[in-house]
Amino acid sequence: MTRLLRGTAIPLLLIISWEIFSRTGSLPMDTFSRPSAIVAAGASGLADGSLLTATWQTFEAALTGFAIAAVLGIFFGVVLGLAPRLEAIVGPSIDALRPIPAVALIPLTLLLFGFGLKMEASVIAFACLWPILIVTVVAVRGIEPRLIEVSNALELSFAARMRKIILPAALGRITVGLRVAIGISLVVAVTVEIVLNPRGLGYTMIVAQQQLRSDLMYAQLVWLGLLGWGINALLERAVSRWPGAGVPGSDA
Amino acid sequence: MRRLLGSPALGAAVFAAGLLLAWQVLVDQKLISPVFFPSPSRTLEELWDQVASGRLWDPLAATTLRMFYGFALASLLGVVLGAAIGSSRTAREFLAPLLELMRPLPASAIIPPAILFFGLSAKMATIVIAFGAIWPVLLASVHGFANVERLLQDLCAALRLSRRDYLLKVAFPSAMPDILAGARVSLAIALILAVVTEMQASQPGLGQNILLAQRTYRSPELYAGVVTLGILGFLINRLLLLIERRVLRWQAAQQ
Amino acid sequence: MPVQMKEDRAVQAAPARGAAVPAVSVRGVSMAFGAERKGPEVLADISFDVGEGEFLCIVGPSGCGKTTLLRLLSGLIRPTAGEIHFHGQRVSGTSRDRAIIFQDYSKALLPWRTVAGNISLSLEACGVPAPERSGRIRALLAKMGLSHTARHYPNQLSGGMQQRVQIARCLAQQPKLLLMDEPFGALDALTRQKLQDEVARIAGEQRTTVVFITHDLEEAIYLGDRVIALASNPGRIAEMVEVGIARPRNQLETREDERFLAHRHHLFGLLQDASFSP
Repeated sequence: MTRLLRGTAIPLLLIISWEIFSRTGSLPMDTFSRPSAIVAAGASGLADGSLLTATWQTFEAALTGFAIAAVLGIFFGVVLGLAPRLEAIVGPSIDALRPIPAVALIPLTLLLFGFGLKMEASVIAFACLWPILIVTVVAVRGIEPRLIEVSNALELSFAARMRKIILPAALGRITVGLRVAIGISLVVAVTVEIVLNPRGLGYTMIVAQQQLRSDLMYAQLVWLGLLGWGINALLERAVSRWPGAGVPGSDA
Repeated sequence: MRRLLGSPALGAAVFAAGLLLAWQVLVDQKLISPVFFPSPSRTLEELWDQVASGRLWDPLAATTLRMFYGFALASLLGVVLGAAIGSSRTAREFLAPLLELMRPLPASAIIPPAILFFGLSAKMATIVIAFGAIWPVLLASVHGFANVERLLQDLCAALRLSRRDYLLKVAFPSAMPDILAGARVSLAIALILAVVTEMQASQPGLGQNILLAQRTYRSPELYAGVVTLGILGFLINRLLLLIERRVLRWQAAQQ
Repeated sequence: MPVQMKEDRAVQAAPARGAAVPAVSVRGVSMAFGAERKGPEVLADISFDVGEGEFLCIVGPSGCGKTTLLRLLSGLIRPTAGEIHFHGQRVSGTSRDRAIIFQDYSKALLPWRTVAGNISLSLEACGVPAPERSGRIRALLAKMGLSHTARHYPNQLSGGMQQRVQIARCLAQQPKLLLMDEPFGALDALTRQKLQDEVARIAGEQRTTVVFITHDLEEAIYLGDRVIALASNPGRIAEMVEVGIARPRNQLETREDERFLAHRHHLFGLLQDASFSP
């Protein structure tokens, strides 16, 4: 119990002194705002739906990019994982593309797609692809070889083999990669929106900043933090319940 | 000779060359637009031109330095704060929730407040980079300092080592693997934020270059810039890995 | 090995009555863990003395609190009840006069320092100036047969060598009391025997007081001037035995000595009961 109290002590202290110093005029409103105003702005943002609309836009882009990366990453990850010689040939090309910071692709995708969802989702897909791909390759490599022999002996089609044996066995590790990728997708989405894409939470923050609405901007920031934290917590809970853990042949 | 022909290195090179060749052909045959997908030869030409004429170095230096200063600042603060917080149980209890709250926050989200305070300036860029890059190395340091092997702590108590000596001679080296792992992530973030802040605040550098190239539809320049950033990202990661291997050479030593 | 007089140390096994203050004096020590130290008692009302220069072995089943007792003697933890005195002074914290050797050598050595660097840590802690250190390190390395490993890292060495490094590091402190926590438990039989003899030799040369913890009854009888058998749940003294076998001892002959076998028989049954007793 004391630990809980101690943990909240400093944040509470900061918020209270923030409010007090703002009201006494030591902290200028247009840059610092104050907690009460921020909460008010947040509440009204929620009430009129603007916050939720922006959130949905960000999520839409993040999920789209993530989905593309997941499909491509898992598919190619499985293929490369099962064929180490192929991986040796393709690997270096992947290693050449990987270090490119996803944000460097912002102007590129802007050139190709213009502003909007497609461009943002592409950047996100690029960013999420590599962790998923690599984790999948490692996960597939780690599958008990006998399971693969069984799948060969049964002469299953590629799709059936994936579905019944390969994916379940590798799932534990793959979900770790997916979890990391979801985190990345959100971060990249917000970044692209802040830099130049006129949609989503990042964009609303820039607009609020340009309009000198510091209260709204901070409210959106707090909202973003809560979202990130909430998603993290949800993911951790979901992963611990995942049936992939404990499947023989995978060391999830 | 046979070994060389069958070696995976050759296969990889052939594969990569094949991809580039296919792209080249597609552009030459006008099957894809050179405006959006400049041919590899054009991109290489542009890149070479930038190197030869010296146009590459200023923006490259600007981005690299920006990233490096932010990273250095973040690392120094991160390790010092991490040491203070990690080695004190009380500090951890008071600060843990606050730190955990900051963990999932996208570093770029700090940009709008930073613009409010500092405008679109180089100062804003440095602060954003440092603030964004500090978290991985800070959290890693806290973890490293908080998890010094119990027996080693007992040993230091038994030897009556001063607190300063404990921190410098035992806790810090013990936390080094964690710190270096965090530093690698921090450096990657520093590079990303350097590029982002250049785009945002029109600061000179590679980020601004590729944004300008996009605005003026100079796609070979755009692609050349992306390639340059990729190479930069690769090199700094390599550098850090090398440093890590040197500092942690005791880990590699096996019987 | 230098020729030694076969002095019969049976007379000196127990601290002489009415003579000098015992090196270590434990009186009514109890130890309980848990919230506010009200949990189950790990040790209950332990009392014994250790004479100056004595080699005391404490043997008992796992979980009887042997390690806790050693940590109390070193001053790393404080007893819930009772007192511990070292050379007449109350033990209220750690001291460089009391060196402790841990069982898990791999975790007790600094993996990022070489063997020489690890030994240097003790010297640095004792404030030995840098120029003097290398000489002292070299001497200690030679003494423990580690000269050729000076620049190696601990994880390049075998278990026995790592434990030797730990011992060398402790000796660098020039301790008056050596506390050893099942130091040879994780080693193979041959290495164990070699190190047993080395420790016995070093302790004898320096006349260091040693408290040696083990679960191996034969090791305890072989090494000790006196053996204390601990029962468990809670840890308490079941028996104190004077070994009474002359030094220097010999792995082959001593273990066949009739006194050795007598002690072994006597304590064996005790320990079997002790591990099941409530």
